[in-house]
Amino acid sequence: MRGIPTVLITVSPEVSAQMRPPRALYPKGFKIGNSLGRPGMRELQKQVLRDALSLLAEDTRPGAVVTREYPDYGEQYDPPSVKSKG
Amino acid sequence: MSLSRKCVPFTPFDGEVSRATVAIVSAGGVHLREQEPFNIADELGDLSFRVIPADADTSQLMVTHHHYDHRDADEDINVVFPLDILRELKDEGFVRAVASKHVGYMGYTMQLKAMYEGTAPQIANEIDKGSRADAVILTGG
Repeated sequence: MRGIPTVLITVSPEVSAQMRPPRALYPKGFKIGNSLGRPGMRELQKQVLRDALSLLAEDTRPGAVVTREYPDYGEQYDPPSVKSKG
Repeated sequence: MSLSRKCVPFTPFDGEVSRATVAIVSAGGVHLREQEPFNIADELGDLSFRVIPADADTSQLMVTHHHYDHRDADEDINVVFPLDILRELKDEGFVRAVASKHVGYMGYTMQLKAMYEGTAPQIANEIDKGSRADAVILTGG
């Protein structure tokens, strides 16, 4: 089986990290439902997608989530945290 | 969780991003208006997926998912399913091509085993067979 390289764009980095994705980008502070940014913010959306695709050719650590900051996004949101196991 | 104990299924990427054909696979509940919506009435989640062709009119894409606020995606589908953005990156030469097939599914399920052993390999096969993708962008809600 050959497999296909993947890059995940996640706005729930802790939750996603549990699944140990091969490559993942967390645009810091983006809320759920805004994986690429806010509606109509085309330049920001393009930069997020460019950054995600660039991870393909970078020396990333499998299973880790890379965090990048995008100040143009505006108001930041806290991502959901993983509940501790009882 | 047993899934996290498995090895990371890392597939190396050979070559340059500018020569890659890229597909989108989204858990954000995205589908074409003419396609059957996901069954949000099923409390266990809907394990099916929809194939979205490369030439899809993005104004005809919509979201059926009740586990995240998708009002922003209703306004601009690219915030969860960046098909227009990928087309622009292709026009700019950042990537070589947009894959011929993309996939939307509803990333909420209480049937993890069925998702992991059934839906996920089916989606991978769908992309592998005939989409010509060298790489896949995954998005959630």
